[in-house]
Amino acid sequence: MGLVQKIVTWSRIKSPWIIHFNTGACNACDIEIIAALTPRYDLERFGVQLKGTPRHADVLVCSGPVTRQIKSRLRRIYDQMPEPKFVVAVGTCACTGGVFDGCYSVESGIDKVIPVSAYIPGCPASPKAIIDGVVKLLTSLEDKEDKKK
Amino acid sequence: MLSIFYILIFPGFLFLSAFGLAAQFVDRKLCARLQNRVGPPWFQPLADFIKLSAKEDIIPEEANPSMFKLMPVLAITAAITAIFYIPLWSVNPIYAFSGDLIVVLYLLTIPTLTFFLGGWYSTSLYSRIGAVRALTQLFAYEVPLLMSILAPALLADTWSLKEMSLFYSAHPFFWLFNILGFAISMIALLGKLEKVPFDIPEAETEIVGGTFTEYSGRLLALFRLGIDIEQIVGAALLAAVYLPFGLGLGPVAGFLLFVLKVLTIVCMLSILRTIFARLRIDQMISFCWKCLAPLAFIQLFIDLVLKGFIVR
Repeated sequence: MGLVQKIVTWSRIKSPWIIHFNTGACNACDIEIIAALTPRYDLERFGVQLKGTPRHADVLVCSGPVTRQIKSRLRRIYDQMPEPKFVVAVGTCACTGGVFDGCYSVESGIDKVIPVSAYIPGCPASPKAIIDGVVKLLTSLEDKEDKKK
Repeated sequence: MLSIFYILIFPGFLFLSAFGLAAQFVDRKLCARLQNRVGPPWFQPLADFIKLSAKEDIIPEEANPSMFKLMPVLAITAAITAIFYIPLWSVNPIYAFSGDLIVVLYLLTIPTLTFFLGGWYSTSLYSRIGAVRALTQLFAYEVPLLMSILAPALLADTWSLKEMSLFYSAHPFFWLFNILGFAISMIALLGKLEKVPFDIPEAETEIVGGTFTEYSGRLLALFRLGIDIEQIVGAALLAAVYLPFGLGLGPVAGFLLFVLKVLTIVCMLSILRTIFARLRIDQMISFCWKCLAPLAFIQLFIDLVLKGFIVR
């Protein structure tokens, strides 16, 4: 069983498919996420692919503070993803709510609604920071497997 | 015992899966290089497959569970069955009878039908739109594909792939007259495999994931593997019909030549998918009926004239 688990963990690290969801961002973080997917940074060399549907995705990349209107939809998209799934919060607003925290229409950071695995601060977070964050999330996956033993 | 070996190992499931995944890598790497990127590492398709197999299977509440689970298996089965009737490295396919050309074309239609049924029984709106588009597209590319593949068969005066390869081995360089048909079936194959200029059924930017919107985990992995296998089988069919040379080289050299032929076709498909952008469904259909079908008629005409004046 150990070998099979190892192969599965390896494949999970080598093939993270992402889905991008704007939870109320000002669009700056979205542009940086799209920039990270362009040929200049070429995320496909790490196996990252952008998918259109939550059913195919492993990593939910969220940007922006959670507004009250989007809260239930974020929850729904998270529930539609098959296990194992991870959430990455991109940008300061997604991490804590940022300057919008406490605003009447804003709920606060992503982690108040769904569990978050990696936080990437920045306003906006640069493509390099996003790639670094995703790579750190994946390496932490490997460490978790080691700790289990 | 031998049939089980054929079905499960070579040239059946195991060989085709490995070759399909390798071809997917070639396709993605070439596409990446053409876009000035580094591209995925060699194990990427395998990692994708293992990861998807180890993920949770979600079957929507509204969906019909048995149909939903059956469709990916059916797609793979049909694609694998077709390879047994295609001559690979010698003139002899594993099984042959007169009229197997039609059977191969029919078996290669089944994956598209499973995409339709799988999408339809998902009962999600996006998958239904994708499913209907897949079927609409089928009617557009299937006729030019069938006509352009029947033209070489007409020249050889047979409906059997074995007899066809025998004829083209006896008449070398006759395949040069079928170059037009080769180009047409290449474009039609792009539609069959739902690759970029014709990836209308799974257009991610319009209808989320198209036919496969609701598929996840193991079933999606099987569907993706089915498309990879279909690509290999389609390329092998085109190689057998349009590039029927070097069939008497013996097992090893012949096998290498077969792999080379298939990879050439895969590379050409991948170049085509990189340099074009997605068409709309109406543009695709008018292109197939107004350009591809008349060209296929010209190919038929060329072969009829050849048959009348040269072959007799």
